[in-house]
Amino acid sequence: MKENIKQGSRSGLIFGIILIFIILFGLTTTLSDIFGDFFGLNSNSRTGNTGGLMMIFALVALWAGSQAASFDKSNWKSTLISGASIGLVLGVIIGVFTFLVGFLDAANVEMRDYLVQLNRQSIQFLLYGRSLWTGTLISFGIFLVFGILGGLLTFILEDRKTGDKLQQRYLALKGKILDMEFVQRYQDNPKSRWISYVILLVIVFLIPQFLGKYWNYAMGTVGIYILMGLGLNIVVGLAGLLDLGYVAFFAIGAYTAGLLTAPAPIPLQIGFWPVLIFSIVMAAFAGILLGIPVLRMRGDYLAIVTLGFGEIIRVLIRSDMLSPYVGGPQGIRDIAGPSLFGMSFNEKAYLYLIILAILLIILFTNYLQNSKVGRAWMAMREDETVAQAMGINTLYYKLMAFATGAAFAGLGGALFAARNQYTGPADHTLMVSINVLCLLIVGGMGSIPGVIVGAFVLKGLPEILRELDLYRLLVFGGLLVFMMIIRPEGIWPAPRRRMELHEGELDVLPPEESLVGKEG
Amino acid sequence: MSETKTKKTTGRINTFKIVQAIISVLFLAVLAWRLYTVIKSGVYGPDTWVRFAISGLIIGSVYAVIAIGYTLVYGILFMINFAHGELMMLGAFSGYFVFEALKSIPVASTGLSFLDSFQIISVVLAFIVGMFISALSGYFLERIAYRPLRGAPRLIPLISAIGASIFLQNAAQVTFGPQRRTYTNPEALMRSQGWRIPIGGEEVILTYTGVLTFVLSILLLIGLYILVMRTRYGRSMRAVAENKQTAALMGINVDMIISNTFIISGALGGAAGVMWGIHNGIIYHFVGFIPGIKAFTAAVLGGIGNIPGAMVGGLLLGIVESLGPAALGIDFQLKDVIAFSILVLILIFRPSGIVGEVLTEEKV
Repeated sequence: MKENIKQGSRSGLIFGIILIFIILFGLTTTLSDIFGDFFGLNSNSRTGNTGGLMMIFALVALWAGSQAASFDKSNWKSTLISGASIGLVLGVIIGVFTFLVGFLDAANVEMRDYLVQLNRQSIQFLLYGRSLWTGTLISFGIFLVFGILGGLLTFILEDRKTGDKLQQRYLALKGKILDMEFVQRYQDNPKSRWISYVILLVIVFLIPQFLGKYWNYAMGTVGIYILMGLGLNIVVGLAGLLDLGYVAFFAIGAYTAGLLTAPAPIPLQIGFWPVLIFSIVMAAFAGILLGIPVLRMRGDYLAIVTLGFGEIIRVLIRSDMLSPYVGGPQGIRDIAGPSLFGMSFNEKAYLYLIILAILLIILFTNYLQNSKVGRAWMAMREDETVAQAMGINTLYYKLMAFATGAAFAGLGGALFAARNQYTGPADHTLMVSINVLCLLIVGGMGSIPGVIVGAFVLKGLPEILRELDLYRLLVFGGLLVFMMIIRPEGIWPAPRRRMELHEGELDVLPPEESLVGKEG
Repeated sequence: MSETKTKKTTGRINTFKIVQAIISVLFLAVLAWRLYTVIKSGVYGPDTWVRFAISGLIIGSVYAVIAIGYTLVYGILFMINFAHGELMMLGAFSGYFVFEALKSIPVASTGLSFLDSFQIISVVLAFIVGMFISALSGYFLERIAYRPLRGAPRLIPLISAIGASIFLQNAAQVTFGPQRRTYTNPEALMRSQGWRIPIGGEEVILTYTGVLTFVLSILLLIGLYILVMRTRYGRSMRAVAENKQTAALMGINVDMIISNTFIISGALGGAAGVMWGIHNGIIYHFVGFIPGIKAFTAAVLGGIGNIPGAMVGGLLLGIVESLGPAALGIDFQLKDVIAFSILVLILIFRPSGIVGEVLTEEKV
């Protein structure tokens, strides 16, 4: 009883603080609009969609109540008390916050100079466009009522074991589908894998035909990130060398293509196709150059050195000293695009070119992965000393990983520069490296389908969620942390890596062991 | 067969070392020649050199304070707390808000605002609030983003740290707005004011904010050194850094020590943030990023995990970064290139740092 109240109010405190931060970020306004629109609630042009806000608060309270109640769901009384205590605490926190904010606003304190999201309109919105006391009491009531409801619902649902039933039904359905005749025949046929690949390929090649100009462009960006992801996948995912300066190779590819094809600052104007090859070679060469000195480093040090290298490249291409040769902060304009049979490329053609490049690289990576080279990389990733003892020339294979990864990034950079007909220092910030690394991790390290899924999640989703543009990176950062805690192996992991990351869960460790961890 | 293989390997390492030595000697010779020509040409008078050295020392002391935060965490958890620069940014914003709040409180007896009537109290208050907020953020950072990952492969907490860093930067951007803000210092700490020192016929200004920053940094570093090396609590910290399991067996609460390490490193970051704000004047949501990376460089420079090393590394990096472009006669835009080149070179040639290492190869 006492324990329930304590637990409930403690979780309530955490939920409340998080909620206040979400309000301070201004996320509530955006989310309420999206939510309210979705459920067809009327939006008041003066204050915004207050109905949506009520729904969000109610949902949060429900969730919090059920969370608190799951601590002890032995009888309905304890779930009621847990739900009530968390609802009460949440209601008091949010109520006091809205009251304070509303009161300060009524006293003409300009909070938005410091906290930009707390302008007059959003404060009115938090009070549902009503008076100070009414608005506060509405929030308080919502949290209390729905907190209790959440607690009771947990008890009711727990009693009927709905979750178990759903799972049983899912398994039954899965079994039924697997038992069906044509699925069986498909699985028994050795050619079926190839047939599905061909079907997938046809779909991929048909998609650009149905997309508009904007979406073709957006998908092209996703494609370039897939290219870079595949490259970094070799360096980080297969060889286990953490590279945070990957953008440097992207920049080298883009600038090589730009400098050789654009009329200024160096009037060479060579055609696109030979330059494409040359940028790949240049990037690979840079990869080897960076690789040689950092060969003996491991882990975090390697990450920091590569990060430093990336920053050096960026500062150098921005600097006034090199600006007569590489264009300085303005970058390079009028980069010539490719042309085939006398026709220059549009967005759709670029998308096809990128898809073609991705397919070639997937084939190449797949070949490497299953060859002696790939096995050597993976052995190095697992334990460098042991790999060396097994007779693997680690220096050689490390250089090879760096060069291959860099070459893919160079290809991506050249395509990127040609498609935009421009490249400048702003395209090559540290964020690019981090984005590529993150798509690798979100998708699943060391796995080719993982890279593709990751690129669509990280680069494709923001295109769809344009309304959340301001919060894109915020959500992205939170997602990374969350992902590492919940599912460190990624959405579509390589089977080997999943086993590695979950190996500890099979053993039963004494409590001290789990507290201390593996390191040290 | 295996014997020849071993021989070959050792042979290669030796060649590698010889090549390294030749390259470094050549490199140093080029640097020395360049320095000689620049000094001989007399582009910069003695006053300019002193000015550069002073600004380098001041910025270096801030780097040193941030670097200690990295070193403490790295020493105990062997992870780079990528979000440490963001803790500094939060501290800088907290100090800014304290000054703004105090500026708006009028004091009847003097007819001025609180900020200008009680200047020392205001500055102390800004530091306390900044350190408190950053320490709190550091605590929650560890609880939310790092603790669940303890014992995971090393890449995982690093990614989590990058995620936390991106999150905090953007959280600050959407809450405080993307615009740059100027610190309003109390009157005694006007940014252009200071002692004037005549050097070579010119006057060099030693600003009050700079002196405050430098003195405070040194005091913080000494305090921390005493805490870690001379107290019972510091001994348990060092024990945890040495070996968590054994420390736990000796009755040390490992989780608590780690939490407190993050609190201390956060507080140092917050103090650095307020100093940055008072001295440099301009803060925005991205302000912690570059100093954070540079401070990490400083920590590596001095030997990571080593507290006096981080102090030396920070001061050295500040001076080199400030004197370097002038000494080599290159653009001042390229000072970041110098800092990062030092990082790369140190890691390649002397990964254990200048002062000494605390790490075995296995930990690196």
